[in-house]
Order: sequence, then C-alpha cells, then structure tokens
Amino acid sequence: MAPTNLTRPMDSHELLSDLLAAASRRIDAAESLEELAEIESSTIGRGSQVAEMRRALGRAPAEERRELGKWINDSVTQVTAELSARRSALQAEIDAARLQSDRLDVTLPGRTPPRGTLHLVQETMNEIVDIFVSIGYTVATGPEAETEFYNFTALNIPATHPARFETDTLYLDYGDSPEEILLRTHTSPMQARYMEEHQPPVHVVVPGRVFRRDNVDATHTPIFHQVEGLAVDEGITFADLKGSLAYFAKEFFGTSIQVRFQPDHFPFTEPSAQMHALANGTWIELLGCGMVHPAVFEHVGYDPAEVTGFAFGMGADRMAMVRHGITDLRYMFDSDVRVLRQFL
Amino acid sequence: MKLTLRWLQEFVDLPTTDPRAVADSLENLGYEVESIESVEAAFHGVVIGKVLEIAPHPNANKIRVCQVDAGESIAEIVCGAWNFEPGAIVPVALPGAVLGGDFEIGRREIRGVVSNGMICSEKELGLGDDADGIMVLDGEFPGAADRLGDDLASVLDLGDVAMEIEVNPNRPDCMSVIGLARELAAHFGTELRTPKVRVPEGGPKTGVVVTVEDTEACPRFVAREVSGISVGPSPLWMRSRLQASGVRPIANVVDASNYAMLELGHPTHAFDAERLGDDIVVRRARTGETVTTLDGEERALIPDDIVIADADKPVGIAGVMGGASTEVHTGTTRVVVESAYWDPPSILATSKRLGLRSEASARFERGMDPNFCDVAADRVVELLVEIAGGTAAGDRVDVYPTPIEPSVISLPLAEIPRNLGLRIDRKTIAEILTTTGFGVSGSDPIRVEVPTRRPDVTRTIDLVEDVARLYGYARFPESVATGFGGGLPDSDERLRRLRHTLVGAGYHETLLYSFVGMGDLDALGLSMSDPRREGIRVVNPLREEEGVLRTTLLPALLKAAGANAGRHIRSVALFETGKVFLPGTGKLPDQPDHLGFVAVGIAAQDWAAEGRSFDIRDAVGLWELIAREMRIPNATVAATSPAPFHPGRAAETIIGDTPVGVVGEVHPRVAAAFGMTDRVIAGEIDLTPLITSRDHWVFKPPSPYPPATFDLAFELAEDVPAAGVLAAIDSSAGPTLESRNIFDVFSGDPIPAGRKSLAVRLIFRHPDRTLADDDVAPIRRTIVEAVVAATGATLRGEL
Repeated sequence: MAPTNLTRPMDSHELLSDLLAAASRRIDAAESLEELAEIESSTIGRGSQVAEMRRALGRAPAEERRELGKWINDSVTQVTAELSARRSALQAEIDAARLQSDRLDVTLPGRTPPRGTLHLVQETMNEIVDIFVSIGYTVATGPEAETEFYNFTALNIPATHPARFETDTLYLDYGDSPEEILLRTHTSPMQARYMEEHQPPVHVVVPGRVFRRDNVDATHTPIFHQVEGLAVDEGITFADLKGSLAYFAKEFFGTSIQVRFQPDHFPFTEPSAQMHALANGTWIELLGCGMVHPAVFEHVGYDPAEVTGFAFGMGADRMAMVRHGITDLRYMFDSDVRVLRQFL
Repeated sequence: MKLTLRWLQEFVDLPTTDPRAVADSLENLGYEVESIESVEAAFHGVVIGKVLEIAPHPNANKIRVCQVDAGESIAEIVCGAWNFEPGAIVPVALPGAVLGGDFEIGRREIRGVVSNGMICSEKELGLGDDADGIMVLDGEFPGAADRLGDDLASVLDLGDVAMEIEVNPNRPDCMSVIGLARELAAHFGTELRTPKVRVPEGGPKTGVVVTVEDTEACPRFVAREVSGISVGPSPLWMRSRLQASGVRPIANVVDASNYAMLELGHPTHAFDAERLGDDIVVRRARTGETVTTLDGEERALIPDDIVIADADKPVGIAGVMGGASTEVHTGTTRVVVESAYWDPPSILATSKRLGLRSEASARFERGMDPNFCDVAADRVVELLVEIAGGTAAGDRVDVYPTPIEPSVISLPLAEIPRNLGLRIDRKTIAEILTTTGFGVSGSDPIRVEVPTRRPDVTRTIDLVEDVARLYGYARFPESVATGFGGGLPDSDERLRRLRHTLVGAGYHETLLYSFVGMGDLDALGLSMSDPRREGIRVVNPLREEEGVLRTTLLPALLKAAGANAGRHIRSVALFETGKVFLPGTGKLPDQPDHLGFVAVGIAAQDWAAEGRSFDIRDAVGLWELIAREMRIPNATVAATSPAPFHPGRAAETIIGDTPVGVVGEVHPRVAAAFGMTDRVIAGEIDLTPLITSRDHWVFKPPSPYPPATFDLAFELAEDVPAAGVLAAIDSSAGPTLESRNIFDVFSGDPIPAGRKSLAVRLIFRHPDRTLADDDVAPIRRTIVEAVVAATGATLRGEL
C-alpha cells in the first residue's frame, strides 16, 4: 500500500474513518476503565495518529486545511463521546458491584464511643444547687472534718444534746486543741461559717458530704450528702420559706408535685418544719427547714431584731432515691458498674 | 411514745374516732405518728360462761368434769384447773373457737369423757402470763355474769388502737397521754379533762424523813407512804393498757408507777419501805461509792451523780434507775413513793456516763414539771390503794424550799408577721396560748406566763413557734425569696467540666466512703514511712473499716474495680473526686480534694475486634485529655515509681514545675492483692490546680497557607525519655512549628543494643505566606542540633 499522505484530504479522510471504526469496536469491547484510558490515549492522545494528523495540518494546502481540521475535530468529538458513554456504563457496573459487595446486616450492634456516667448523687446535688442558683443564690462549700463549735455550738445545739453523743457522731483523734474535731453531721456548720464571712443579705446553698455513726442498712450509711440552704435579710418570713421550698419541689419533681409543711424541732431553727411530698398516695418527708433561730444569729454577730431568715437541709441521696425508685441507699456507694450505668 | 386511742379519749373529746384522722391531727401539730396498730384479741369465738356443776372425772383424779352454761347451751367440759368453784364466771372456748391465732378448738375425748371445748387460762387467751389456773372473770368484770354467751373480746374492752408517736426532744411535757391530749384539745378547740386525783384521807401519819442536801440537784422531793399493800399481778385492764402501750406488766406496784408515768408524764419510784428505812437523803455521790441498780449491775458513782440514799449509802441513782437493795418484792407490804424534780443536765450527764438510759432518765433529762411532783405521787398512791389494797399515809413529805415560779415572756404582736409573714389578731393569739396552758395578759406586747412544764419556752421566738404550730402551718401564705445572684463559682463550673471530660472518656463516676482500713494501706504496698499511713483516726468508729480517714482515694477505687472485675464486667473504668484527710498545721486537718481513677479490662468496646487492655498509655492519655480539656498550660509527665504503681510504668503529672499527681499502671502485686490479674491503671491527682480559674482563651485565626512537613528519626539511648526529645524540639523549633508527633519508636535490628529509634513528624506553617524549602532547612538543622545536644542522640539518615 502506498504511503499515506497526511496532507492530502482524501487520504486523511479515509484514515480517519478507519481509525474511528477501529476505536468504536475497541470501546464497545472494553471491559475496564483502564482499558478505556488506554484506548483514549492510543486513539486521540498525544502519540496517536490523530494527534499526528493535527500536527501535519499546518503543512496541508490552505484551501484543504479547514475541511481537514473539521474532520479531525469531529472524529475526536465522536471518539470522546463514545468513550464517555462507555465509561459511564462501566462505572455504573463497578458501582453496582461495589455496593452489592458492601452490603452488611445493619442491625448488628454499632461501634459506640466509650462513655461513662455521672454519679446520681453528685448530679442530684448539682441539680438542686442549680435550682437555687436560678433564683439568685450563690454556692459555698466547707470542711468535712469540722470543729464541734461549728457543727453544734454555733447552731444552738446544747452541750447536753444527744446528737453530740459518741453514739451518733464520729469524733477524730486530732490536734491538741481542747475543742473536739469531728466529721460534720450536717452541712449546717456552713451557716455559721458563711454568716461570719458575709454580711446580710445572704442567699447561699451548700452541697456536701456528711457523716453519721449509723449501722449500715437500707436507709443508713456512714456517709451521705446534703444540700444546705440559707436566706437571711430584713423581712424574710415563714411564708418565704414555704414558697421558696415549694418552688424548689416543683422544679425538682415537676409542677404537679404536692407538698405540705409540718412542725418539727431543730435547735437551730424556730419555728421548724419538715416538708413532705405526696408520692404514690403517701406523704414522704423530703427535707427539714425552719426560721433561723435568733441564737444562731447572735453567735455570728447578726442582730435578730434586724434580720430574719430561713434555713433548710435536704439529703441529696434521699431526693434521688425518691425520684428514681431506689429503695436501698447502699447501692449509691457500692461502685457496682451495673448500678452506675443506670445513672443517666 | 406509745399510747392507745381510748386512753387519749379519757382526757379529751375527739371529733373523730378514725385513728388515721387523729394521727393526721397529731402530725399537723408536729408529732410524727410512726405506727398505728389495732389491739386485737389473740382469740376468736370465746364466750362468757358460768360453771354450773363440777363432778369428779370417772377415770382420773387430777381433772374434773364441768357443766358450763355458755348462754345458748350447756356444755360438758373437762378441765384440769382447780382454782374455781360452781358459780364461777369463766371464758369458754366452744368447738370452733380459735386460740393463739390458729389453734382451733374441737371436741376431744379425755380419758373416756368427751370434752365439748375448754375453759381458758389467761395465757391460753394471750392476755397474760398466768397459766396456773383458769381465768375467773367475776371479780374484775362484775357485769360479766349477766352476759353469758357474749363474745369475751367485747366484755374485756379489747379492740383499742395503739399509736407509736414520736415526741420531739424539746417537748418532755408531751411524753404522756395528758400532754398529747392537751395539744389535741387546743387543736380541736375541745376541753381538756384534767385528771382528778383523790387519795383517801385519814391514813396514818408517815415516819419518813427526807433531807435534801443539794437543792440545786433536787429542787423538789415528794414522798408518800402506802402501807398494807399486797404485791401481785395488776388487774387485766391495767395490764392490757400497759401492754398495748409497749410496757411489759410486771406487778401492781411497778405497773402503777409506769401507768401513772405514761398517763401524766412524771416518773416516780416506789421503794420497799422496810428495806429503805425512814431516813431518805438526797445528795451527790461520794467518791468511791457504788450502787447496784435494778438491772443487777453494780455502778461506780462519781461526785457529779445525784443519789437517793438511806442513812449511810446510796439506794438509787436519782432520776435514772432505782437500786436493787430497796426493790419492791413479792413480800413487800409497805412502800414509799418518790416523786421529784431533778436538775436535767445532771441526769443527762449521769445517764450518758453510765450508758444507762431509762424511761425516767429520758424524761428528767429533758425537764419535768417541778410543780407537778405532788400530783404525780398522789396518782401512784391512788392507784396502789385501788389495785394493791394499800392504805395511804395521811400526809405527804414535800421538800420544796424554793418553789419554781412560771417565767414571763413578752410577745409583741409585730413579731408574728415579722417572722411568719402573716398578721394574726391578738384575740386569736391569746386563744391559742391560753388553750395550751399559758397565762395571757396585756394587749401589745402580750405578757405571757409560761407553765413550768414547758422548759422549751424561754424567749419570744418560742411563743411565735407555738402560735405558728397551733394556728396551722398550712394557713400561712407562700412567697419566693430571691437572692442577688452570684451563680456558680468558677471552680464549680470547671469541676463539672472535668467530670464531664472523664465521663466522655468512658469513666463512670463513683462515690466512695471517706475511710480507709490499715489493711488496705498494706495492700497498696506503702512503705512504713509513707505519709499516707499517717491517717487521722476516728475515736469511735462503728466498724473497723471506718477507723481511719482516707489519705488517698486509691484503695477504695482499687477495691471497687476488683469487685466489678469479680462480677465479670469486661471493662471497668471509675473515677471519684473527693476529699482526703492529712495531718496539717491548723486546727483542722488538711482536707485537699483529689481526683482518682482506676480502669481494668478492655479499653475500647468493639465486639467485632480483638479487645485491647488498658495500659500506661491510657493513663497518660487521660492526663493529656484532662490537660487539654481543662486548658492547663505546661502539663507534662516524668517517670516516677511510687507505690502502689508499677515501677517502670508510672508517670508523675506535672503542671509547670509542680508535681500534682501520679498516673500509671498499678504494681502487679497490688493489683493481685485487690483481686485483679489483668493490667490495672490508676491515678490520683490534686484537684485544685485542675479546676482553678483560667483566663479566657484567645482566638488564633488558622493559616490559609500550606504546611511544610518533614520527619526526623533519632537513635538514642534506651533510657532517654521521649519527653526530652520533644522538649528540645519545642525550645528550638521557633514560632512556625504547628505540631510535632512521635509516630514510631522501636529498638532491635538495625539499632544497636541499648539504643532505640524515635521518629517525629514535624509540621510547620506560617501565618502569612507559604514556607519555602529555604525557610525550613535552617529550622531543621537547628532542631537536630538541639536534640543531639540535649539527649545525646544521633540523627538517622541525612541531615
């Protein structure tokens, strides 16, 4: 066969037709994207005959150059379109195969990031604290090993009161001071400590751990947790005590909770009360409270003729037990992961 | 205290007889009702019968055959008791009756004679301990003869309701039926029936002489003699009532004293007059004296104790317990009833010191009414005359040199609204106070005379309380007292963030006891000189495990981890924040807050992959996480090896230059001591530096330019810590260093023995432009020189 003269339109046209036909056949037969890439490269790529023809275009007679150029472009466009169509079809097959092989039983358990839980009692203390913070209270904490003065004397608890007995309170072998050091039996010592440091008005809550010398059973453990509250100002009354604590109960248990106040006795408040809530048809005791006893004010240098106030103390463990149906306090301090996991 | 509803009703008319309603009223007054129980007969179907004839048993000589009129029928009953004659009125259990709750009576042949039921003893009826003979009703229940065939329970007045009532310690006056009746009368606005005590007059003159040596200890002492008594069981009505009120009946003299105490509140004591002699001396004990109390214990006395003595020795501890030497016994015929007022703190001190608490001491230590001693004595005497056949002495000895007068307190009307938030008019206040026995005069302030039975009322606020209580807490309005803000302290907010961080890392928060056992400290492997052994001792622990305050959170955490591992929980990760207690220099122990954690088992939960156990990297990583989350600058670690950690796998946690704790793997022997064989990680860190306030962080805009990255691999001695390499990089790399991460550490071929290879990837980025190779090359050189100089490393590969 005579050598093809690429500058001659007739020869070029013929050649292009042959190339197009060959490319179409190969594209139709291609089975992979790689094969298509090879076809593209060898048919219309840099080193292809088509590329060579394009380069030779400059030497073609001017009157034929235009027609020849159009032929080349049309051919390239056609091959490109065929390649693209075939590539889409192949890609769709590949995608379908991949998706098919990816199929999994999505009901198998997932891969959960590890996550612990906050302790119910801590969270309950925080929740109680937050309710009072929301009505303008501040927060303070105090020592757990405390002096007898702050735990009892400053709270108007007489030297002869049974609460001071070694049967009820854990005393510490510490220091040379004649004053006894003990594990605080309530968060109330912070009432006196706080009032010594601050002038009225005072609105403060004190969360913390307290201790009693109790035999361990479903409702007693040697440690438990309280949140103490104290509000002192001119003009604070028993009505404020009732209203503030009723507000707290509604925030903590929900607005449908019913509460009542019944008389009780504490040496550091008078009148004293316990607040009850109606739960499943029975009234249960939630907390003790009362108007701050004038003797407590006198101990910290407040004038009981000027200011009045109320104080309350509630067991955070107890509040949590009531709300979540826990019947045995010991679960709270058992560190059993099966229990802790439930504290959500 | 425990009492019955009918007993209360003897003193006050109640508008309701529903026990629950009465209990509600008591609770609204501040008396918690702990239980309500009906006092039921322990028998069923027992009727009143009359013995018509008694014949010998044909085949036995210790038992007899009785014809008993049981109302509707005459029953032939075989009976082994001999304490009755024809005509006796007796309880009869006919076939079908039930005794003791579940023992059904049937027809039964006894030695050839069919017995149609049984005649019952007190014991068989559950009414008393007397099993010696059958119960004869005609003496005690005169009307019983007219009620043959009636149910015995109705005749015996059973079916009362007993209530256990908690009386607050400030109200000794309410530790009695009359006291609670008084409160209920005020509550319901009904009248209180004060008891009329009448002792028959004209008795012989007493020979008793009382000398009170210490009138401060004993402001008043009353004694009255009763002669001609015969000691024996009390009548059924008294025994039933005592029993229902939780007091075991013993014999008439003791029962009378107990009955009067429950009824009127004031404790009394009866001495055997023959054993006591005529001379009674009230004084403080002398050094070395002892007395054997009624419980048989010999008690050593000290001069603070008040005693009742005869001419030369103590015969009882005043207000606490009588003595054995003058105890009433079955042969007693003459008694001296003592009713005194004792100094409350003295009684409390003695009863506390001796660990001897009685119904009497519980009342005297709170304060009885000095002006009621005479009535209390007379009530016991009246009962003894009635139930023990005694004759009361015509006179009463009453030593009361300085009568105690009622105190007077002023109640300005404005104090009511100032404290209670509600104005109450004078008339209502006066009514409330009058009905509970206060004397009221004056308009404003009200002048209030306080009855001497009310030791709790000493200042105005005590009157405000009584007004509030009797007016009814429910009737006061409600308002909310809001404060002036302040919110959560920063440290509290940061503590919450820290706790959330640990939870996000998979740790469960726990709360542990604040105590530690010495054995736990041994299990930690602490050396004998370790300061954590210097725990503060509890003087009076209830259990050995609570003997010492914790100096470290670790033992309890390890115990908890071991317990959970023992429950076959695959992954255990726990933390606590709480106080430890260490000797300090102030009045109180040092009580720093610590963060403690422990983890054992599978570190990451993926059911489809092989689990990886916790190890040192998790412990250090947790510290790094905390440092990042809490924005702690200059948080680093350094190798350390204190107990209870693995000596080669523990890291001191450091902020700046200050060590703040240790994290790491627990020593395998310690882990084993707490029941764990896997690797266990733990840590204990001072909490305060973690939650101290930090300045707000300042935003840095990210650079839009591409980074320059290169890796450096060093060969260095095995024991040179990676931290040294990183520190050298940090100090030499300059401001464009974005990150430096160790990505490979290995030893062995081709690295010579005793050395290791450590590779770091460094990323640099300039805020304002793209870093060129020419920028990075000198930095690279500087870093290599710094690392080589600081650690003795050689660079692997080309500079």
